Amino acid sequence: MDMNEIKEIFFQECEEQLAELESGLLKLNDGDRDPETVNAVFRAVHSIKGGAGAFGLDDLVSFAHVFETTLDCVRSNKLEPTQDVLKVMLKSADVLADLVTASRDGGGVDESRSRSLVKELEALAHGELPSSSGHDAPKPAAKAAPAAAPAAKAELPKPSDDSGFQPIPFSFDGFGEDDEPVVEGSLYEVIFKPRRELYSKGNEAALLLRDLSRLGEMSINCDTDALPTLDKMDPEASYFSWKISIRTTRSEDDIRAVFEFAEWDCDLEVKFAEEASSNEELPMVPVPFDLSILDDSSSGEDERTGERGASEETVAAALSAAETASNVSRAARVAEKKESAAASAAAQNNAAAAAAGAGQTIRVDLDRVDRLINLVGELVINQAMLSQSVVENDATGTSAVNMGLEELQQLTREIQDSVMAIRAQPVKPVFQRMSRIVREVADMVGKSIRLVTEGENTEVDKTVIDKIAEPLTHMIRNAVDHGIESPEKREAAGKDPEGTIKLTAKHRSGRILIELADDGAGINRERVRQKAIDNDIIAADANLSDDEIDNLIFMAGFSTADKISDISGRGVGMDVVKRSIQALGGRISISSRPGYGSTFTMSLPLTLAVLDGMVVTVAGQTLVVPLTAIVETLQPEAAAIHSFGANQRLISIRNSFCPLVDVGRVLNYRATQANPVEGVALLVESEGGGQRALMVDAIQGQRQVVIKSLEANYTHVPGIAAATILGDGRVALILDVDAVVAASRGQSMKPEMSLAATG
Amino acid sequence: MAAKKAGPASLKLAAVLDLNEASNLHGKLVSMRGSDLRIDASGVERVGVQCAQVLLAGVKAWEEDKKSLLVEKASDAFQKTMQLIGINNQNLVAKEI
Repeated sequence: MDMNEIKEIFFQECEEQLAELESGLLKLNDGDRDPETVNAVFRAVHSIKGGAGAFGLDDLVSFAHVFETTLDCVRSNKLEPTQDVLKVMLKSADVLADLVTASRDGGGVDESRSRSLVKELEALAHGELPSSSGHDAPKPAAKAAPAAAPAAKAELPKPSDDSGFQPIPFSFDGFGEDDEPVVEGSLYEVIFKPRRELYSKGNEAALLLRDLSRLGEMSINCDTDALPTLDKMDPEASYFSWKISIRTTRSEDDIRAVFEFAEWDCDLEVKFAEEASSNEELPMVPVPFDLSILDDSSSGEDERTGERGASEETVAAALSAAETASNVSRAARVAEKKESAAASAAAQNNAAAAAAGAGQTIRVDLDRVDRLINLVGELVINQAMLSQSVVENDATGTSAVNMGLEELQQLTREIQDSVMAIRAQPVKPVFQRMSRIVREVADMVGKSIRLVTEGENTEVDKTVIDKIAEPLTHMIRNAVDHGIESPEKREAAGKDPEGTIKLTAKHRSGRILIELADDGAGINRERVRQKAIDNDIIAADANLSDDEIDNLIFMAGFSTADKISDISGRGVGMDVVKRSIQALGGRISISSRPGYGSTFTMSLPLTLAVLDGMVVTVAGQTLVVPLTAIVETLQPEAAAIHSFGANQRLISIRNSFCPLVDVGRVLNYRATQANPVEGVALLVESEGGGQRALMVDAIQGQRQVVIKSLEANYTHVPGIAAATILGDGRVALILDVDAVVAASRGQSMKPEMSLAATG
Repeated sequence: MAAKKAGPASLKLAAVLDLNEASNLHGKLVSMRGSDLRIDASGVERVGVQCAQVLLAGVKAWEEDKKSLLVEKASDAFQKTMQLIGINNQNLVAKEI
């Protein structure tokens, strides 16, 4: 495993930590005062800082450090996490995320923004930090991160080693000053005998000792008796061992933690010694407190590391970052130990997420999962073909073969479900990103907006998640910029000056429904209509329903913003959003109530790979209806069919009426309406929530089908969602239930065309 | 790296005395035995324990040979590290001249 891989893992972990950080802060913002939440937030920043230190990402370290210091004040109840405080913290989380991105992909960060945040954070931390009162203006710490942002460096107190999460800030504030702090605490005796392996793995006893010396006041005795004569010695073997007594306020575990990554390669004894211990008999050498020279020289090493081996590079990296003597930083020191570090980091995470019941996870390349999914898809098709040919060729119905086939079917099914579950991810990360966008955009336009999310644990296929982020971002920006009014206008309209945007995800009829609702002014229909006429999208005398006017905003080249703003209205409008949603096999619609806001509804398929379907026949064609959409099937009786209007029909089911949709007619498979009594009705639930009875000729059976995109292989066909290959090798089309239902209501399956036709 | 037979030999230590340097340093010391030695540690930026081991073994070997081995100039890093790891051999932590 080389350095870059480790770094890659670090960045992946960073993303998780950032998500953790943000959700924790948002929880705090909502009034959650659980200490565990504060701890989780603190841990997230701390882990990022530690890892960043190991890789010499100084900007990241220095910012994370300031952030961490302030969070520590919250943790120790010195700072009340009020809304104002959290606002700064949320912004800091954003900057931290930017810094992580900048560190990974290169590129710059808004320096002035991070600097001003550093100041704000420090103000918060200092405003209520009584314990370091003696150092109101602490001298530049001897060991502030090298080349850190100057503003941050100047005011940094000496970073404390918080790996044990028991920071004692004042005990380090005196670093580099003449008056050494009074070290209290108990005395420990440490016996440390490194073995040869410790060195050969790139670890260095001197560094461990230095880390140890940072815990408190340390005296050391080096046992050199084992050293053979010069000609007999092996220069790479280990002969020295140490007896150390250290007075520290830390716990024994903290001491052991220093040796955490070397403990298999050394003999280590840590004993609690009484106040008057027997150490007088040992000629102890007091260890100097100021070891900064070691850091400085080592940081100078960094430039030269390129020409040396990887293991040394890691040592140097660790050196420069040694002040963040956290688990993660040491992970880099010994490359081979990374896994154990990850394990311990994971253990930490687990502790944090214990309530959430997080288990162990592995990271898998998405390509591998995709390959597996494709193969399973082929397996499903193959299994269907096999059972079909067995049924066709086996008139006697040999039970053994049939039973075997049934088991095979069940197994394939389970495999498929499991594979699908691998790809299913909660929409939470995407939603979290949105809250940042709301914050930033609202800040820019001077509005006060709260984002409420609901159902963020709704799971959907990873490809869908990846592709939904961009259109969603665009819509959120629109909602903040155009949807929500300015606070003054809102107040004038008798609304809460703080606007609310609600982002909801839920499962509905086998699809995921994402709703974006704002409580703004709603669509200004007059203006939209005028604009559409000006842009020659509709004829001046076109007669459109409110709904149709609202949906005009999805037309290409449509923007109602009077002036082009920085945030939205750059010419790429809702038509782009609509196209990307459609490319995903989804639909988008808008409903708006003037004065009360607009709601965008996106409906997306849960997965782009398989589908449980009912195979039906319509006018001699085989179609697949997604099973999730079907509520029940029934055989209509003549008495239950009622005519309604010119060519609409209703079916009465258990004393309620339900529109009857002739699928063959809607899809133009036949010219005349079929006789409902000769067919079968499928009661389906459409996205609007209403029920419709789809009329088909016959039901062939129920089957799992592998979705093959029609768009990719042919072109989009209205009313058809996708295609599949059946057991006998024929292609069957998968019905887009909602599109068919919408078409039956008299709307065309291509509203754009119909609108154009009216003009 | 042949040692000079006449007069005190001198040895300038490398900047980085780490694991890789230990064998090297050991070889130099072995080859320089038999005459007085002045060690210049002024350019040392980093000292690993293993080089410290070699140096201390060298001090003892020189003592055995009744020759003198002195660290004449030592960088801050060199002194601090020796102090840190608890080596207080006078020959090694000699004051700067």
